[in-house]
Amino acid sequence: MRYFKHIVLIILMLLSNARLVAAEETSTKKTSTKETSANDAWPIASSGQDLSEEDYIGEVPRVLTVSRLSQPLSDAPSAVTIIDGETIRASGIVDLPEIFRLVPGFYVGTNAGYIYNTNQVVSYHGMANAYAGSMQVMINGRSVYTPVFGGVKWSELPIAIADIERIEVTRGPNAASYGANSYFGVINILTQHPSEAEGNKVIVTHGNGRNEAFYRHGGKLNDLSYRITTGYREDDGLDNRNDFKRTRLLNAQADYQINDTNSLEFEFGMANGNRADGESVKDYVLFVPREREIFNHYELMRWQHNISADSDFKLQAYHSFDRSNDNFTSTNLKANAKRLFIENGISPAAASVAVARFLNDQVSINNDIDTERFDIEVQHTFAPATNLRVVWGGSARLDNTYAPYWLGTKETDHFNLQRLFGHAEWRINDKLLMNIGSMVEHNSFTGTDISPRASLNFKLTPNQTIRLGVSSALRTPNYVEEKFNAKVIIPLVAPFPAGVVYRFQDAGNVNPEKIVSREIGYLGDFGRFSLDAKIFNDEISDFIRTPRIRGFVTPGFLNLGGRARSGVNGGDVLVNGFETQAKWRITKDTNFLLNYAYVDITANEDDTTSNINESAPRHTISALLNHRFNSHWDASLAYYQTSETTQLGDGNPVDLIRKCDLRVARKFNSGPWHGEVSAVVENLFNSHYEEFADYNTLKRRARINLSLEF
Amino acid sequence: MLIWHKKNRLVKKALGYTALVLGLLGHGFAHAYTGVTIVMSTSSAVNQEFVDNFKQELLNAKYPNLRVKVIDLQETEKLVVAENSELVIALGVKALGASSKLSFTTPVLGVYTPLPTYNSLLASSRRVLGNFSAIVLDQPNARRLLLIKTVLPEAKSVGVLLGQTSMQDTDNLKEMAEKLDLNINQENVYQESELIPKLSTLLESSDALMALPDPFVYSRETAQSILLTSYRHQKPVFGYSQSYVQAGALAAVYTNTKQLAKQAAEIAIQSQQAIGGLPPPQAPKYFSIILNRQVGRSLKIQLTDEETIHKKMIETEAMQ
Repeated sequence: MRYFKHIVLIILMLLSNARLVAAEETSTKKTSTKETSANDAWPIASSGQDLSEEDYIGEVPRVLTVSRLSQPLSDAPSAVTIIDGETIRASGIVDLPEIFRLVPGFYVGTNAGYIYNTNQVVSYHGMANAYAGSMQVMINGRSVYTPVFGGVKWSELPIAIADIERIEVTRGPNAASYGANSYFGVINILTQHPSEAEGNKVIVTHGNGRNEAFYRHGGKLNDLSYRITTGYREDDGLDNRNDFKRTRLLNAQADYQINDTNSLEFEFGMANGNRADGESVKDYVLFVPREREIFNHYELMRWQHNISADSDFKLQAYHSFDRSNDNFTSTNLKANAKRLFIENGISPAAASVAVARFLNDQVSINNDIDTERFDIEVQHTFAPATNLRVVWGGSARLDNTYAPYWLGTKETDHFNLQRLFGHAEWRINDKLLMNIGSMVEHNSFTGTDISPRASLNFKLTPNQTIRLGVSSALRTPNYVEEKFNAKVIIPLVAPFPAGVVYRFQDAGNVNPEKIVSREIGYLGDFGRFSLDAKIFNDEISDFIRTPRIRGFVTPGFLNLGGRARSGVNGGDVLVNGFETQAKWRITKDTNFLLNYAYVDITANEDDTTSNINESAPRHTISALLNHRFNSHWDASLAYYQTSETTQLGDGNPVDLIRKCDLRVARKFNSGPWHGEVSAVVENLFNSHYEEFADYNTLKRRARINLSLEF
Repeated sequence: MLIWHKKNRLVKKALGYTALVLGLLGHGFAHAYTGVTIVMSTSSAVNQEFVDNFKQELLNAKYPNLRVKVIDLQETEKLVVAENSELVIALGVKALGASSKLSFTTPVLGVYTPLPTYNSLLASSRRVLGNFSAIVLDQPNARRLLLIKTVLPEAKSVGVLLGQTSMQDTDNLKEMAEKLDLNINQENVYQESELIPKLSTLLESSDALMALPDPFVYSRETAQSILLTSYRHQKPVFGYSQSYVQAGALAAVYTNTKQLAKQAAEIAIQSQQAIGGLPPPQAPKYFSIILNRQVGRSLKIQLTDEETIHKKMIETEAMQ
């Protein structure tokens, strides 16, 4: 990987030199034009000669086409929170998922997981384990939801925060537009268009347990605009976890304007690096503290064709590949196995005999996981009447998964998915707008399903809207729930039984989980003050969980009964609550954002209730106050409060959290150089709190950041 | 009309004397032409449409005896016109440039010509106002601003991003804005790299961006970044052409071919026997409004229909 650093360094040098030469040229040009205009009595005459009618009435490429324009929030079928680049900057976050703390009803838990992903868990309305899989997450319309455990490996995404233009968060199911797994909500991260990022930018961050450096170059060659961002991130993680991360990433985007109505967009990204993982409990057994290597890349191509002012066609195809290299050996299993034998009713003496017959004290685990995705999608937007807009399309996807330990085979598994979707927005009159949509999906796990939705937006006044909505969605089980066949078998010395099944996860063959979400929303926009509020009721049926299976038998093997799990559909869960977001522009230099959510979860079956009812904090509050003192200085103060919760899976009970972040920034401008220096103190009052589980202790952290454009 | 009055003050002064001398020499500007020669820069669809509409307008005005001849510059090696008996209507800058070299007694009317180009041709040729005129492409600033005020009655400040050409005369713009109770925020762009940073600064303090034709600032190449940046700031752009509105601006005042042909026909008829020759260069008299409803909707701007806005604007213009 030395190579990588060298290459980046060389590119940096080349680009900076090129830039200097270019700057010299332009500055000479500038002076010469100035001279002529000063000496020339007829400045208009000299420049006017170059003007032609084309400069006035010539064709201009279609830029803000219908598919690029977003629906105003007051017309949207569900509650939507938009986080713009300015809010991201003001929040002072360094890890992308942290921003979702500013979305009402969202839970962000630091450093969850230890098998495949030690990352933030981002969930909405609870019911999430370390691999929160109930939300669809996309970057520029490309799904980054992982098929094996579900959820998103946030730290491995080849994306730099500086390249993000805005994030649209749909709070509520939206399968009709985004497909299955757009279950509790949808996150769509949109990056800046390459033409908006011309020039060079360097961003360096240094702080407690954190070092980062990014370089971005954007440019234009005739009708091609492009942007390349490369970076290196060192994250030392938490003091009491084995969770450091080293990530090198590269992201490139290009837009080629074929003509006024056709454009081709290309995206490429890759990331690699090492990760430390491992069970966080002291008596870890299988998933020992270890280091694994990750590598991923993706390639995307999008053709946008503008048919007319209100009609667009889009064809998008992408491929992504993701690898986690993770081969390791467990600890000595004897002591632990003996305890388990006894727990399962075997006498201590017999347990000792059984353990003495272990052929090996340790087992090797091949936790290599490769996933690959091919996806193609077409979408057509058009307006059959002036008050009707329709979006419809279809897509096909193939996921290939190689996970020898989890799937119990070295064969690659294939998952196919096809879907058809349609959405119509019907403006019945000035006051009433209806959104209706549906999706039909067919996949290799659960067959064919339909998810419809409908909502009615009623405008009380031009700036106040009441929204009534019902939508349904399905969550296709992930590999854990549907197809896992993971055995840890300890061979025994004598021929019978052949071994001890230490741990087992059986294929669940479950049905998809279903949600029907109803909501009443209010939106008020009073210029400097806006309010978004909703009460909701989510009804989840066929809730998928992975309980321990009792009386589990593997012929010819000795079972440690309690260690077997399988996915099952069990029980219904009700989620009721209230969410609100207020934005107040106190003065032209002072902005205030306040979020509050109340979430109440009730599971109706005994075995599902365990900690599902506590899987989302009952109350969450977040606020961001930003003030600009003058053209140079600005500061922001963020406050986050999460009531006690018990996350599923590896999570365990944690108390109320209160945290304050402070950010102070100074902009500077010196000739061709301009930028910003900022200092961020996270957890200002140094409260030692636990998040997601009691093994994640967070303390005060500070960092400085320099961003320089030239 | 104020825009060029100022710019032309010098031209007028300088050339006024020439005119006077010529007038004394007895040439005068009574053309009494018997036909119209339309010179096209290219035989584009728009130019063809102009010719058809122009002929139709003459018919409508019961003036069929004025012959109309068409010359396509691309198919002509040397522009030859029956001097002194023809009015030359030049379509496009190239045609106007070629026509300006005709005998200076042949009256020439430019159409599809930017005002600065017209001015520079007037200055560099042997031409004088009375026999060299134009219906320029530039809409009056008052009209452009009136559109903003009509579409966004609440707007207080309008941002203008200016390049070498458009920054030459901003006094009139500011004067007109003041009349409509609008404040002009101005940023001058000297280098390409300044474009987006300056636009962002401008958008932060403005309610809307008013695009003024200047190839250095507004071109095919910059449309994408300008429109995307403005949209990111959730600020509407007022364009200067139909095409800019189709690309993503909210609205524009423009004059279509039929309207230009009508105005040209009126000039041709009126000045046929006129003593003073051709009228001074003028702005498009007739205009239309184009709106981008999709953009308006996304920016939460309530738009009435084009007709209502147009009517309102004509009424206001008439009052002034």
